Amino acid sequence: MPKVTWILADGREISAQVAVGHNLMEAAVANNVPNVIGECGGCLSCATCHVYVEPDWAAKTGKPGEMENDMLEITTAERKESSRLSCQIVATEELDGIVLRVPQI
Amino acid sequence: MTSFKPVDDGHADLSSHDAFLSGAPHNTFARLRREDPMSWSEMQGGKGFWSITRHADIMDLNKNFELLSSARGIRMEDQTYEEYLARRTFQETDPPEHSRTRVLVAKAFSKPVVAQFDQQIRTICDSILDDVLARGSFDATKDIARQLPMRMLGQILGTPDEDLDWLVEKGDQLIANTDPEFTSLVLDKVDTDAYRLMPFRSPAGAELYEYAKKLMRDKQAKGDTTGVLHLILQPDAHGNVISETEFRNFFCLLVAAGNDTTRYSIAASLYALCQRPQLMEQLKAGDNNVWETSPDEFIRWASPTMHFRRTATRDFELHGKEVKAGDKVIMWFISANRDDEVFQNPFELDLLRTPNRHVAFGQGGPHVCLGMWLARLEVRILLQELVKRVKSIEQAGEHEFLRSNFIGGIKRLPVTIKAH
Repeated sequence: MPKVTWILADGREISAQVAVGHNLMEAAVANNVPNVIGECGGCLSCATCHVYVEPDWAAKTGKPGEMENDMLEITTAERKESSRLSCQIVATEELDGIVLRVPQI
Repeated sequence: MTSFKPVDDGHADLSSHDAFLSGAPHNTFARLRREDPMSWSEMQGGKGFWSITRHADIMDLNKNFELLSSARGIRMEDQTYEEYLARRTFQETDPPEHSRTRVLVAKAFSKPVVAQFDQQIRTICDSILDDVLARGSFDATKDIARQLPMRMLGQILGTPDEDLDWLVEKGDQLIANTDPEFTSLVLDKVDTDAYRLMPFRSPAGAELYEYAKKLMRDKQAKGDTTGVLHLILQPDAHGNVISETEFRNFFCLLVAAGNDTTRYSIAASLYALCQRPQLMEQLKAGDNNVWETSPDEFIRWASPTMHFRRTATRDFELHGKEVKAGDKVIMWFISANRDDEVFQNPFELDLLRTPNRHVAFGQGGPHVCLGMWLARLEVRILLQELVKRVKSIEQAGEHEFLRSNFIGGIKRLPVTIKAH
């Protein structure tokens, strides 16, 4: 199972093994990662699972889709080049070791 | 009559508005969560429905819009296709159609944009408190809870203050269409067939629409293109523009949904402060970031939108029950918010509850409340300003609940307050 690490705004780190096929919002909620809320269950209605993908991993996670791109306009924390909605990133073996930064909200 | 200790016999008829007259029938929900988590109810004058009552099931199914669709109606009552088309808003659509419309207005209701209302909300709260402190004894629903969301609605829609009472009265006729105190056309008691194509099956919808048309004309004449009503009229990513009917329904939705739910969240919060003075002390002390966590806990406890309905798009089985395509399935958010598998001591308020995975805003699905950040902010600021100026709040008479199995609210709450 791929390992995912969330770095919180205060520098604290949370890591977890995430089953392939699960999205990283669900994984964050299951592991009580603060500030990844996922109010809409991953349906692209809320933007509360906003994370910054560490630059090394950006190529592997790809670009946001059209609707995700629109919803990234309503995030609470500043939108950056590395911004993604984590409900749209699905765990794969290729993402083993991925690091996400969680913004302060 | 209290919301801390439910009074029903555990076998309430969930299709009946009268079964909610003493507050939500929580003993019934508790029994269903325990014994029959996918239960069937018959409904007088219509098709029966399934009830989902467990938090885990709602979290599982609310997001599954392919199985449980919103695009055939979201209220318990049956609708013909013609009625559905005439009355629908983006609430009654599924992704991706829903998402394309929603995104047009999402920014206006996002947390950072809503946060800019902070000072305006404080000013409104100040004026509300000036008024009630001068009187001492009053109806907290009418004079506090109803006031704040109503005046904020005016700010959001850009309507003159003198129109607000009328607007909210019409909104109440829509959403409280099962309570004779708010409408003479009680949905389950009077023949409302003539109004079946209007929002909430009520002629108030038509009056609101006329109002919206005039408002937009006036704004256009002044060259004013600001505000959420203009946003919803912009073409979506595919170049589609909502129809006149959909615009009418969206306006009615803003007036109705944006008002009563926040009103009843505030009313429930004030009732809780009357019944549990220690909560008031905890808020006054303001320790442990209580203002971060308490709005959600008050809203969980209030759960003003008690359910929404979905419709099964195909046959499926849940907890041994066979649901057929076309069956109505009700998600009881109010029940999920008292589920002791998720919330320790769910009938009490724990203002520091973390995490607080309540579903009062329909969390876990695409239709999660658009106005949730505004609702949280209004509840927080109202309570912040209240505890600054008010020493104590006590109940001064029987409270009364709205007659509705859809919106749960204390519609009358006599209180006495004392200033610091």
